[in-house]
Amino acid sequence: MVEFTLPKNSKVTKGKSWNPPAKNAEPGRWREYRLYRYDPDTGENPRVDTYWVDMSDCGPMVLDALIWIKNNIDPTLTFRRSCREGVCGSCSMNVDGTNTLACTMHAEDAKGAIAIYPLPHMPVIKDLVPDMTQFYAQHRAVEPWLKTDSPTPQKEWRQSREDREKLNGLYECIMCACCSTACPSYWWNGDRYLGPAVLLQADRWIEDSRDERTGERLDDLEDPFRLYRCHTILNCTKACPKGLNPAEAIASLKRKMVERA
Amino acid sequence: MATPLKRVRGLGAAHGGTETFWRQRVTAIANIPLVIFLILSIVCHIGASYAEVKAYLAQPIVAVLMLALIISSAIHMRIGLKEIIDDYVHSEGCKIVAIIATTFFAGAVAIASTLSILKIVLGS
Repeated sequence: MVEFTLPKNSKVTKGKSWNPPAKNAEPGRWREYRLYRYDPDTGENPRVDTYWVDMSDCGPMVLDALIWIKNNIDPTLTFRRSCREGVCGSCSMNVDGTNTLACTMHAEDAKGAIAIYPLPHMPVIKDLVPDMTQFYAQHRAVEPWLKTDSPTPQKEWRQSREDREKLNGLYECIMCACCSTACPSYWWNGDRYLGPAVLLQADRWIEDSRDERTGERLDDLEDPFRLYRCHTILNCTKACPKGLNPAEAIASLKRKMVERA
Repeated sequence: MATPLKRVRGLGAAHGGTETFWRQRVTAIANIPLVIFLILSIVCHIGASYAEVKAYLAQPIVAVLMLALIISSAIHMRIGLKEIIDDYVHSEGCKIVAIIATTFFAGAVAIASTLSILKIVLGS
């Protein structure tokens, strides 16, 4: 059955307060962050620790604050990050109740204390680092590369401007998993439902005028769980930090299924 | 110790679901006017006698629309219930029992409702 409560060893406890600012501290200078902490080596339940970030010494983004905390307060804080400009998708996490990229979210856009958790409903490796193994395997399963049978041309596979434009809104996906982990269907059935990010990627190759395996790709998706667990909840589209529309990509897949039925 | 890819591929795609998806949409569209018709029928007969309601339902057009509503909503209900079970019930045993039970329930509601309309129309 679906789980409405966390397993015993996942229940979040109250953590410690690391560096509360002095009572006479300059107003507005210190910003409160509440971070999910989990260390598998201790065997303890996860906890939420509180940190205060000196905004006069820290960049404006949430990721800047995390790096500031790691550098100045607690070097054990663990999170993924790389490009710090919304291209790599590494720093996806749940910030202030919404899945987003820490590097492209302004701390000013959140009110009060900023709560940061790992992406929802994913196994946690440590602190803010979720285990993405299943997610990446699902991506691999839709074979996200060009598949052709025609002889490979001497130069490039040609594509008209119109056909190239069909990939707009699809190719920009950075696989951060913000959409999939915001989807209740993916929470309950993530073992069989491919989820919005992977379905958007599947549609990207189905839409590609150069790909010659459209029918096979649709065959592999035509399944009550792989595709049809999507109930058009639209959390995916709301969550996407790149402004993409995975729900539209899934609708496009369903349209193609009906078209060929 | 299956690899992640092996787990994801599982037993492969069922190559099904599109017909169910389409049928659910078609019955949903059909249900809009049919349910409006049902509501209007009920509202128009508030305070009416048993004989008056029976006579109304015995009219061919009314009976046809009511039968259409029964069939369409029973199919829609069966699909919807199965979707909910697929979403939330993960134990295979419970799942099969629940799906069979909802199929019987939807079938029983449809048969009983159809028989009721037919009895009124045929006057027996």
